[in-house]
Amino acid sequence: MIAQPTTAREPAGAPEPDAVIEARLLTKRYGLTVTALDDLTVSIRPGITGLIGANGAGKSTLIKILLGLLEPTGGDAFVLGRDCRRDGFAIRTLTGYMPEHDCLPPDVTATEFVSHLGRMSGLPAAAARERAADSLRHVGLYEERYRQIGTYSTGMKQRVKLAQALVGDPRLLLLDEPTNGLDPAGRTAMLQLIARIGAEFGISILVASHLLGEIEQVCDHLVAIDAGRLLRADSLSSVTQASAALLVEVDEGIDLLQAELATRGLRPVPFQRGLLVALAGDETYDAVRDSVADLGLPLSRMEQRRHRVEELFRTEPAAAAGSDSEPTGAGRVS
Amino acid sequence: MSADAGAAAGQVTPPAAQGGVIHDIGYRRYDAVRLGRGAILRALTWHSFRSAFGIGRGAKAKIFPALLFAIMCLPAAINAVALANNPSGGPIISYDSYVPSLRTVAMLIFVALEAPNLVSTDLRNHTLPLYFARPIRRIDYPLAKLSAFVLACLAMVEIPLLLLYIGNATQAHGAHQVWVQTLRLGPGLLFGAAWAVLLASIGLLLASATGKRVFAICAIGIPLFLSYVVAEVLMHVGSQAYGPVGVGQPSALASLAGLLSPFTLLGGVLRWLEAPPRPGAVPHFQQTIVGHYGALYGILFAAATIAAAGGLVLRYRRVGVG
Repeated sequence: MIAQPTTAREPAGAPEPDAVIEARLLTKRYGLTVTALDDLTVSIRPGITGLIGANGAGKSTLIKILLGLLEPTGGDAFVLGRDCRRDGFAIRTLTGYMPEHDCLPPDVTATEFVSHLGRMSGLPAAAARERAADSLRHVGLYEERYRQIGTYSTGMKQRVKLAQALVGDPRLLLLDEPTNGLDPAGRTAMLQLIARIGAEFGISILVASHLLGEIEQVCDHLVAIDAGRLLRADSLSSVTQASAALLVEVDEGIDLLQAELATRGLRPVPFQRGLLVALAGDETYDAVRDSVADLGLPLSRMEQRRHRVEELFRTEPAAAAGSDSEPTGAGRVS
Repeated sequence: MSADAGAAAGQVTPPAAQGGVIHDIGYRRYDAVRLGRGAILRALTWHSFRSAFGIGRGAKAKIFPALLFAIMCLPAAINAVALANNPSGGPIISYDSYVPSLRTVAMLIFVALEAPNLVSTDLRNHTLPLYFARPIRRIDYPLAKLSAFVLACLAMVEIPLLLLYIGNATQAHGAHQVWVQTLRLGPGLLFGAAWAVLLASIGLLLASATGKRVFAICAIGIPLFLSYVVAEVLMHVGSQAYGPVGVGQPSALASLAGLLSPFTLLGGVLRWLEAPPRPGAVPHFQQTIVGHYGALYGILFAAATIAAAGGLVLRYRRVGVG
C-alpha cells in the first residue's frame, strides 16, 4: 500500500514492521478509580482505520497517548515504528492531529492560522504559506481562505481543523470525531474528504467516532473499544457482515410471519413496526421472500439495518479482546 | 441510513485500486527541509511579538498599542523640541527613569491589554492541543510567549529612550557631548530592560490564569494599579507622618512601601543602583524611597522575575490538552 511506515531504523524488540500504530497492553489510569485504557493490544496497518467506541470508551485517550501528549500508565505504544514514550517529538513531526473540540481562534483568517500552524510543524515561512493554501484548497476552502474563521459555518470550521492537520504533510492523520456537530450533508462531505485523503494522498488515517454508520463508509478496517478494552479489530467487511440485520415490515399478519420465519430457522425479533432478523446472506432474503409469499402477506418494506455500535459489539463474544494470556496477534487488523 | 452507507461505500474504492488515476488537484508531498525546534520556537516568538502590537489581528487590535507607543514617545519629542528652542538648557528628561508616572501608566495599560492576547486567547480557543500536537515541547510554548512579550515591552520602553538619545545627540555640541549622552543612555537601556522583564513575566503569568480576555485584563490591571496606588500612598504617609528616622534617612515605612508594587520596585532598584545620584544627571521626576533597604529591592526584583517566569512555565506543564 501507499503509506509504508519507516520502521527499519528502530532498534530490535520494538514494533511490528508493517504497523502504522501498535499498542501492547496499553493502560492509562487517571488516579486510582478511572481506567481509560485497560490492557489494550492492537495493531493497525496502513489505510483508513475506524476507531469506534461509545463516548468515554477511551478513543481520545488513545490518540493522546499516540501523540505523546499523555504518558501511559503501563504498556507500550508505537506510531510509525517509533516509541510514543520516548519519541513523541519525532511522532508529532510525522502526524497530523484533528482534535474533537473547537480549537480555532475566531479573529484570524483561515490562511493565516493554517500557515502559522504549518510553521509550528517545522515548515519554513514560504513553504508554510504555500502548503496552507494547498491544504485549504484540498478541504474546499480556497475561495474563503481570507475570511476570519469566526465567520465560518460549523462545517467550514471542521474543514479548517482538517486543513491544519494536513499542512505539515503528515504520514498519519489522527482524527477525533471529525463529523462532530455537522449536519447530514456536512457529514457526507467530510467523510468523502477523509476517504479522498486516505486514497489519493497516501496518508494513513485513524478516525475516531462513536457512529459506526458513518465511519464504515470510509474505512478499510475497524477497531472497536469499550471501557478502554479492545472489543474487536478486523477488516470492515467481516465486521459489518456479522452485524447486519434485516428489518421486515408487513401491513398485517406480523404474528404469522414471525412464526413462519421461526420455522425456517431464523429468529425474528419484533422491532418498531416490523421484525428484525439477522442477515446471514442471500438465503435470509430468500427465506423472508418465501415466507411472505407463502402466507400471502402484503410486504411493505425490507431494510438493511445495523445495531448501534455499543449493542453490536456487546453481543459479540469478546473473543478478540486482548486478554493477558495471548497478547500476540490479539486484535490484529488484517 | 444503511442505504446511504452502501452508496457511499461504493464510491470509496480501496486505495490500492486508485494507483494510476490522475486528478485535477494532486496532493503535493513536502520533501524539503524541516526546521528544528529552535526555528519553530523563533517562529512562535515572532508571531507572538507581532500579535502583541495587533499585527495579524485586524485593524482594531492595533489602535491601543499604537496609541500607547505614541504616548510613550511623547516626552522624547518634547525634550527634543525644548532643546531646540533653548539649547543652553540641557536635556530635561533622564534616560534612567524617563517619565516614571507616564511610563507606569502606559506600561500598565499595555501589559494589561496585550498579555491576554498572547496567552489567554489560546486558552479560550483551546488552541493549545494544536501546538502540543506539533514538534515542540511543553516548555517551548511559555518560553516563546515570554520572550515575545519581553521583546514587545522592550520595544515599548527602549524605543522612546533611543528617540530621546537621538534628540539629545543631534543638539549636542561636539563629539564629547555625544559621548556623554551615549554613556548615559547605556544604564537607561538596562533599567528599561528590567522593566520589560519584570512586567512581561508578571503580566503573562496573571494572563495565563484565565482564558477570558476581560477577566485577564482585570486580573492584570487591578492588582498592578492598586498595588501602585497603595505603595505611593504609604510612601507619602511614611515620609510625612513619621518623619525621618535619622538625619537624611526616611522612615522604614516609607522605605519599604515601594516593595509592594512592581513599578515602585523598579524605581527602587534604580535608586539603589545609581545612589549616590551622579553629578550633572537630570533629576528624576519622581522617585521610590529606598532608605537603607536598597539591596532588598534588588533581591525582590530578581525573586519576583524568577518566580513569575517559573510560574508561567509550571502553568503550562500542567495545562490540559483536551
